[in-house]
Amino acid sequence: MIDPITLAVVKSALDSIVDEMAYTVIRTARSEIIKDVMDYSAALCDGRGRMIAQAKTIAQHLGAIPDAMASVLADFAGDLEPGDVVAMNDPYQGGMHIPDVFLFMPIFWEGKVEAFAVVIGHQTDMGGRVPGSNASDSTEIYQEGLRLPPIKLYERGVMSRSVRRIIEKNVRVPDRVLGDLGAQYAACKVGERELGRLYARYGRDEARRYTAELLDYAERLTRAEISRWPRGTYTFTDHLDSDGFSDEPVPLRVAITVHADGHLTCDWTGSAAQVRAALNSTLSFTKSCTYLSVRSVLRQDVPNNAGVFRCIDVVAPEGSILNPHLPGACAARALTGYRMLDVMLGALAQVLPDRVPAAGEGGNTVLSIGGQTADRRPFVIVDMITGAWGGRPDKDGMEAVTNPSQNMSNTPVEVLEAQHPIRIDEYGFVPDSCGPGRFRGGLGLRRRYTLLNDEATLQLRSDRMRFLPYGLEGGGPARGTRNVLNPDTDARVMPAKFAVVLRRGDVVLHEQPGGGGFGDPFTRDPERVAADARNEKITLEYARREHGVVLEPGTFKVDAEATRALREGRA
Amino acid sequence: MSARVGVDIGGTFTDIVLRLADGTLRVSKVSSTPEDPALAVVRGLEALLRAAAVSPAAVVEVVHGTTVASNTILQKKGARVGLLTTRGFRDVLEIGRVRTPDLFDLSWEKPEPLVPRRRRLEVDERIAADGAVVRPLDEAGLLAAAERLVADGADVIAVSFLNSYVDATHERRAERLLVARFPALDVTASYRVLPEIKEYERTSTTVVNAYLLPVMRRYLANLAAGLRAIGVEAPLLVVASNGGVVGAAGAAERPVFAVGSGPAAGVAGAARLGAVAETSNLIAFDMGGTTAKASLVEQGRVSLTTEYEFREGISTSSRFIKAGGYMLKVPAIDIAEVGAGAGSIAWIDAGGLLRVGPESAGAHPGPACYGQGGGRPTVTDANVALGFLNPAFLAGGELRIDAQRAREAIHAHVAAPLGLSVEEAAHGIRDVANANMARAIRSVTIERGRDPRDFTLVAFGGSGPVHAGDVAGALDIRRVLVPVSPGVFTAVGMLASDVEHHFVRAAGGALDGPALDRANARIDEMTREALATLAQEGYPRDQVRLDGLADLRYVGQASELVIPIPEGRLTPDRLPALRAAFAREYAATYGYASDEPLELVNVRVVATGLRPSRLDFRAIRVAGGIPPVAGARLVSFDRRAPAVNTPVLAREAVPAAGAAGPLVVESYDSTVVVPPGASIRRDALDNLVITLGATS
Repeated sequence: MIDPITLAVVKSALDSIVDEMAYTVIRTARSEIIKDVMDYSAALCDGRGRMIAQAKTIAQHLGAIPDAMASVLADFAGDLEPGDVVAMNDPYQGGMHIPDVFLFMPIFWEGKVEAFAVVIGHQTDMGGRVPGSNASDSTEIYQEGLRLPPIKLYERGVMSRSVRRIIEKNVRVPDRVLGDLGAQYAACKVGERELGRLYARYGRDEARRYTAELLDYAERLTRAEISRWPRGTYTFTDHLDSDGFSDEPVPLRVAITVHADGHLTCDWTGSAAQVRAALNSTLSFTKSCTYLSVRSVLRQDVPNNAGVFRCIDVVAPEGSILNPHLPGACAARALTGYRMLDVMLGALAQVLPDRVPAAGEGGNTVLSIGGQTADRRPFVIVDMITGAWGGRPDKDGMEAVTNPSQNMSNTPVEVLEAQHPIRIDEYGFVPDSCGPGRFRGGLGLRRRYTLLNDEATLQLRSDRMRFLPYGLEGGGPARGTRNVLNPDTDARVMPAKFAVVLRRGDVVLHEQPGGGGFGDPFTRDPERVAADARNEKITLEYARREHGVVLEPGTFKVDAEATRALREGRA
Repeated sequence: MSARVGVDIGGTFTDIVLRLADGTLRVSKVSSTPEDPALAVVRGLEALLRAAAVSPAAVVEVVHGTTVASNTILQKKGARVGLLTTRGFRDVLEIGRVRTPDLFDLSWEKPEPLVPRRRRLEVDERIAADGAVVRPLDEAGLLAAAERLVADGADVIAVSFLNSYVDATHERRAERLLVARFPALDVTASYRVLPEIKEYERTSTTVVNAYLLPVMRRYLANLAAGLRAIGVEAPLLVVASNGGVVGAAGAAERPVFAVGSGPAAGVAGAARLGAVAETSNLIAFDMGGTTAKASLVEQGRVSLTTEYEFREGISTSSRFIKAGGYMLKVPAIDIAEVGAGAGSIAWIDAGGLLRVGPESAGAHPGPACYGQGGGRPTVTDANVALGFLNPAFLAGGELRIDAQRAREAIHAHVAAPLGLSVEEAAHGIRDVANANMARAIRSVTIERGRDPRDFTLVAFGGSGPVHAGDVAGALDIRRVLVPVSPGVFTAVGMLASDVEHHFVRAAGGALDGPALDRANARIDEMTREALATLAQEGYPRDQVRLDGLADLRYVGQASELVIPIPEGRLTPDRLPALRAAFAREYAATYGYASDEPLELVNVRVVATGLRPSRLDFRAIRVAGGIPPVAGARLVSFDRRAPAVNTPVLAREAVPAAGAAGPLVVESYDSTVVVPPGASIRRDALDNLVITLGATS
């Protein structure tokens, strides 16, 4: 019999263990991408590899763990010793892209593997053609850096000298990478220590029984909720602007079928074929993004574990962008993941119109700048810019907030400037970039960089220049991305994805899209429009054009009569 | 006979403690007056002085902990702040760190910035990361922007320029120009509040300071005037978030340091108590009406954190998540808080799981058993149903209890839906609440590599001693110490605080040669400043203790460990000891350490004004109190076993030699539960000490 009290205690114990692991990573990591941006995840799996808890870290990592775990078990089941750690990053064996290195530490109890501590970290660089190993214009995975199948990084608590040397020779900033792997290891150790305490308290049988029940509990909650949704099949299509090699739009299409027994089929048939650029999402990542999208519209108290996944079937045709063949490149697959969220939410909005927001900014922008300083010290900056949410059924979208697929932070300007030859001259909102609506989208962000080194390579990955973040229920789309080189001198407008060599003093300006609007913009409360204008988040022209609200210059008072005339005149 | 006063102003009650020179302690709990918190203090103190027949003129000091700063933020009642930033960075405050406190929550709302965009203006100026001037300060532009802010109603101006932690020349100049132009306005610059790297954290802290300035100054002036009006002329002191006390003038100038004022005092008091009770390693465990708090005291030192977020609701024990509130990067006692208090409501979620809190029945309607209209079961109702709390009255008879209502509420909302008996459900409520509280304790011990079994649990707050035995048992903690007057211990603790001032300077550099000289020069600067500040507050050099601290990390990391500097100076011959101390601390926290190079991020000086008369917990005698109780009642300690007839004693009746559990000890302000298998005794300081048996 399952005792509800013990179940509650075990659940909070597991939540607290994964959070402790996550906290350990940021406290011990070396690179901005992990310690400031927080692009990493921590989780626990049971002995069969089923995820039983995930820390409040990157959502996109959530569902990739099962497939990666399966690869590790396939290669190493029965061949693991206490103190071993298996590392892998191969997207074709359950990984996501080369920079995301997974560490799995088996946790032993009475001589048997009972669980795994899992920590995924986005490494600053894993070698390959470009600094940051994150180019969107690679055409084969072989260009993207050091690909690791499941291998033992630690054996009986000691890091393998051979693996260490291979990493040292293949990555641009080995001190950072090895330091961050050390941080992942430290977090695994914390997971091992703490899960051991849980086992000591409850004994093997009880601990197993209750972790298994937690999975069932999550499944029950998920099914109970989905079974209340209106049955049917709901489709939605959105696009990536292009893969960067041609101007061809890249469609992503989903058909979500709600079944009576509370499970969903999410079928991606109809999405683009595999692309030449590094935007391919291997199946594990496709599943992950599908799961997280559904999870986002479930109620808050569903535990984040594999029980949720049992209610969601994912179909993606082989050879498509969402289930590519080798050697399809996938470094920039996160972008495809963001669009999957947009597509999924577009379909789910038809199921749950009072819960789903309009499209957000469409994913973070990744900017990598790498080179060598005058004293031949290599540097790699990986900066991520995010984000804005779309308008919601009952409130505005937020500005300056992580994409819900992630839970990322930003790198402080002062930290970047103290560590690297770069100056940031602007970090702020882009006025008027929001999609108009009864509830408007959030504003996009802009960031402006000046290179203080003689030379460096810049890679910039963005999207949403052509296919703008959509509005819902009559809300308008947001303004798109804008990239400009040297905006104050020769002002070269750049595409969404590009690579260039920068010289000292060159300036890069990136503007993110805002979020789409929700509901008819002409029904927005004029006082809210006035408040936005007073805060210089929108201009008087925008207020008039998009919301039909006339404001008095200087005082921002609503001209009620002119507003009524304008709003009525539209119909 | 001289007297000292400690005051803890909480949301529901204001606790006042009067300590006479002969060691007698008089305590009083009065209802708080949130609209003017000073009122409850002044009235309550006047009554207490009268009852004790002490002349107001005999009061030599009033120390108080206040929630005025935190409530001002919660209720958004602070100043209209105008913020001046470097050109290009007016949105730093609103952008923040862009994370969300939870995953998968599309309905989350970011906290409103304390300064709206319209009152954040940019100024032409720029200093580079190496201190070079990229662009000089545009003085005319600065004043023009300030004029606009003032015209828009700003009554405080905050200044936060990029890289001012490296070189504050522009901020200093801006400050001077603004003060000269607007003599009636408050001006607060980031280099004074927090001269540290990371523009958002520094700006946010500066803005919170600005936001609180006028409110806090008014409140302190008001309180001082009220006290004078009843004849109390003694200096007024405020407990800071780090547990030290500062003069009212200092608190009025830098209120951001007093946001965590109240809870900090309890922990500092526990540390002080530990020092005299020969318990230098302890966990302060404070359970009140809506939350429970835990904090670690090691080797007699409280655990300090250098940043935390102030947020509405309850902070979870998940310290790595930051996003939900207003960032304050100030030294504060590291306190984990969970929504499990006496008034926390038990409920069943959609998956059929029993939950407790964070919603609380508060003082109104209160637990169902108070009979004031509360119908939902709380932790207190569970305690009444199981016999832990007196089923007829609490607070020495001042509060009637209706045990039947407690049982009915538990039956309707927990027992029936789960198919359990009322006793089983009540045990469930207690167990879930205990597990939540254990989580708070875990986050300050296990999460940092400390084994809770090496610590004594010091339990206080009205309900701390009711749960301490079980919470300790869940973590295999063997020893629980319940101080005298646990229900007003926070106020008592204030009388035991020292005056403390914390200073910090960035010292960014490797741990060698020139960097050491720079760091030592900054230590000297801070030492001079510290001595001057304390001298003003009446502490001559021989009553000041100075401690130097270094924030160290491996090169490239983002988080530092704070390590004491041997003899307060960074000289080459002391470095090995410093490195070794870092390695020890690092290994204890993270499970590994390496021989990689270290970097020195900040140096700190903590200056303590030693109060010759501070309370040391020896010879406390509580005057007044309640009629002694005695008897027995049925208490259900174990849901798999029948309730046992359990003796009930008055605190005074606990034998010094000890008594075996099960036992319940009742006093005016708290109930102490001693589970079966445990024992209790009274120590030489009159504390109750519970010893738990070995567990499996």
